[in-house]
Amino acid sequence: MGKDHIGELEELVLLLIVMLKEDAYGLAIRRTLKEQVGRLITIGAIHGTLNRLEKKGFAGSSYSQATEVRGGRSKRIFTITVSGRKALQKSRDVKVNLWMQIPELALK
Amino acid sequence: MKRRYHIPRAAERLIRSICKSDYTEEIIGDLYEYHDEITGKPRWKRGVYFWFHVFNFIKPWSIKSFEGTQNLNHYGMFKNYFKTSYRSLRKNALFSFINVVGLAISMSIGILMILVISELNSFDSMHTKADRIYRVAGNKFMYGQEIDIPMASHYIGLEMEHQTPGIEEVLIMRDGVDVDLRTEAGAINIKGFYTTESFFDIFSFELLKGNPETALLEPNGVVLTQSTARKIFGDKDPLGEPLEMESTGGWQVRNIVGIVTGVMADLPSNSHLQFEVLVSMETYDQPAISGTGWHKGYKSVHFWKSTHVYVLLDKETTPLAIENSMAEILRDYNAEQEHPVTYTLQSMKDFVTSDKLGNRVGPRFSRKQLGIMIGLTIVVLISACFNYTNLSLARALRRAKEVGIRKVSGARRHQVFTQFIVESILLSLISLILAIGLFLLIKPAFINLPNPASSGHDMFLLNIGALQIVYFVTFAIVLGVIAGILPSVFLSKLNTTIVLKDAGTIKPLAGISLRRILTVLQFALSIGLIMSAVMVNKQYQFAVNFDMGFNTERIINIKVKGDYASKLEATLQRIPEVEQTSISLMTMATGQAELARVESEDKEHKGRIFWNSIDEKYLSMHNFELVAGRGFESPLQGQTLGNQVILNEHILQSLQLGSPEEAIGKFITIHGYARGKYQVIGVVENFVNTSLNAGHDSDIMKEKNFGFIQGMPGFSNGQIGVKFRSDNLVDLVQKLETAYLEFDQKHPFEAEFYNDQIAETYRAQKTTVTLISFLAFLAISISMLGLLGMAVYITESKMKEISIRKVLGAGFVNLMTLLSRGFAFMIIIAAFIAIPITKYILDDKILGQFNYRPETNLMDLLSGFLIVLLIGFFTVTWQIRQAAIRNPSDLLRNE
Repeated sequence: MGKDHIGELEELVLLLIVMLKEDAYGLAIRRTLKEQVGRLITIGAIHGTLNRLEKKGFAGSSYSQATEVRGGRSKRIFTITVSGRKALQKSRDVKVNLWMQIPELALK
Repeated sequence: MKRRYHIPRAAERLIRSICKSDYTEEIIGDLYEYHDEITGKPRWKRGVYFWFHVFNFIKPWSIKSFEGTQNLNHYGMFKNYFKTSYRSLRKNALFSFINVVGLAISMSIGILMILVISELNSFDSMHTKADRIYRVAGNKFMYGQEIDIPMASHYIGLEMEHQTPGIEEVLIMRDGVDVDLRTEAGAINIKGFYTTESFFDIFSFELLKGNPETALLEPNGVVLTQSTARKIFGDKDPLGEPLEMESTGGWQVRNIVGIVTGVMADLPSNSHLQFEVLVSMETYDQPAISGTGWHKGYKSVHFWKSTHVYVLLDKETTPLAIENSMAEILRDYNAEQEHPVTYTLQSMKDFVTSDKLGNRVGPRFSRKQLGIMIGLTIVVLISACFNYTNLSLARALRRAKEVGIRKVSGARRHQVFTQFIVESILLSLISLILAIGLFLLIKPAFINLPNPASSGHDMFLLNIGALQIVYFVTFAIVLGVIAGILPSVFLSKLNTTIVLKDAGTIKPLAGISLRRILTVLQFALSIGLIMSAVMVNKQYQFAVNFDMGFNTERIINIKVKGDYASKLEATLQRIPEVEQTSISLMTMATGQAELARVESEDKEHKGRIFWNSIDEKYLSMHNFELVAGRGFESPLQGQTLGNQVILNEHILQSLQLGSPEEAIGKFITIHGYARGKYQVIGVVENFVNTSLNAGHDSDIMKEKNFGFIQGMPGFSNGQIGVKFRSDNLVDLVQKLETAYLEFDQKHPFEAEFYNDQIAETYRAQKTTVTLISFLAFLAISISMLGLLGMAVYITESKMKEISIRKVLGAGFVNLMTLLSRGFAFMIIIAAFIAIPITKYILDDKILGQFNYRPETNLMDLLSGFLIVLLIGFFTVTWQIRQAAIRNPSDLLRNE
């Protein structure tokens, strides 16, 4: 498992970052994850994953304007990086490639 | 709009205090939003959900590291120190290895000393009243001189109990319970004391069974230690069991019809008092069946042989007040005495470690003894520290650039200093681990060394506990600081610009004179220790192989404990391998001795004399040389003590009896046990009786006067010497034992070869020889490691010089001389320092006090020097050879 390896939750979160665009911050990602994937995860776990992605260089982050609902705190908005994109593509390719090799399963 | 988006303050504070500051903004923001999101839920659910998420933020990734905000610099710096130190140690593997090994060797001895000291400190600490327990010690006038002994009269104990205020309890104990018991597992010997009932009030020993108040109150009350009770009674409950014992202790035999009234826990090894059995003092009032040790007047003021008096003071009383009261009690008595008796109180913490007073009831380890051991340990430790200092200074040049860069980047001098100290502490901690391993290797050997003063008791367990580990680590850190301080000062002082501009301008061997001094000192220590080992060993060998003046070859001595000696002798003579037998009271030349005052007939000349009681065959069997007169000719008829004496030549001078021929027929008076008037019938050539190595504080043991008398005045103990001609020793000893068992089934068969007994007498010295040789070996290994390190360094830094010299035609021998000259010079200077000092300390101060001494010759004096020179020479040669045989073109090609 090198640095370019991407875990399952990481992959999901990274996809959501791309999907949510300007609104990709911790709590929003958690909410979407719950709605779209049906997985309920603690906010802490989401933050951990986001930080890990940033450390691996798959995502970058910047602070947005402060909002009142957040008690005057700003959001940390995440964006995907080029290597993040590559990692996603690679992960998809690997899976697609594997699916293609098992036609009986793919047919179903 | 309600201000519902306020999250609990506590949550915010918690997050701020635990999480990294980079994350708090985002986390708290999300928590606000989340709090808002769950407002619809019931209040309690809200709380639970919210706090669940708050705590979920406490994760490894979010927590502030210890390099955290405020202390960032300190922690980070130390981390950096450790990292650089580790790298530097790894990079210079050989130097680190030399240092670690040297330090570990010396530290293993340091660890041993720490354990010995901490165990000595723990002596008697189990007694809750230890700070108030004192032992009465007196000055006794014996054989013409005053001796301080830790004993006092029964009388003073009783008097103090009755009339001295300030004393809570008085305990009187007597030696003399020495019993052989037959058990199912074989004969066992148990020893102990007669004691008054306050024993368990003063000492905090635990009585497992029985009542501590009454156990020692009644006559015949016996308290056994747990393991002794188990040996005698097995699993049976010993309480109330009868125990018939024949005690032979203290020159007397008495029958004790004991009843076990208590079983106490086994004595811990760190108790100053060691015994297997206690018998109530009341029992001692019953007269002995034989022997002279028992006096009806044992409670009189004169009588204080074998009596130990302990007092427990109350909290307000000082020992001085009690000493005054004791002087008061004895005032009338002392007024009539030529040599007044003074009693002092010895505090419990001095029982084992006192220099002045021995401990007659258990082990002893005097402060002086400890001091010598600590001194030797420090010598070895210093040697290892010198290695580190030397090698680090020598390598200073290589580290100079590093220091320069550090300083340019803003490091202060004290920071550079700390860095090097940290490095040496790190090294010392690594050595500690190795040292503990080494210590575990030498531990059994140390514990098994016979310690003459512990009188057969195991004093030390040397177990390592948590507290000891703390001591070790502290010790390692202190040692690291000591070793590292000089190089650290030197390196931190370096001038940045000079170092960085041109490294060549700083003297390549800076601190060279300091280093030379340290190396010379180190060699001096090694030389001194080797010399000590050689000379102490010589004294030991001298004693063991000394011509005693009589024959001890092929003789077995059998202990006799009863009045069957002559019957047993007759049986022994029927064994074919037995050549000759003789009965005597004591074994000569093994430290057993009975001393008495002696006077000439006109009472004008007085002296002291050692005497032994022998039979008519003794002198001829042991080949004593008669100078004049004759030996005893026939067995005594009808009486128990003869009235004739055979003297040695020494005493003729003390009593001025003239020449051996003139002395024959004269009369002398002997006092003490064998008191009486004796006629001199023979004179034997001088021989060695007292221990050859007696010295130090006991003038008495140097007494060389000796007399033989015939018969045994009231003793039923003694021995039969058997001279044999067989070589099948196992068979012989079996036959002797069979004969012995015919007469005595009660006491174990004790027989020893005479020569072994003599060797045993010098066992204490063997311990010293072993210890000093071992330390000398360590010291020399350490200094040779250091020498090796220096040789490697110097040859490495002179590689080019060597190559150029070779190109110009220098031969191997030339190079050798050139490079080893410096070392040889230092060893010679070291010898000049070490030899006179060691000779002074050892020859004049310590060994000089011994009774009989071998001559110290030139070889003894030069031994240390030659050995160090030889080993040093080989070390250096080996290194230089590496340099000298290399092809110079390899080294010079790139220039």
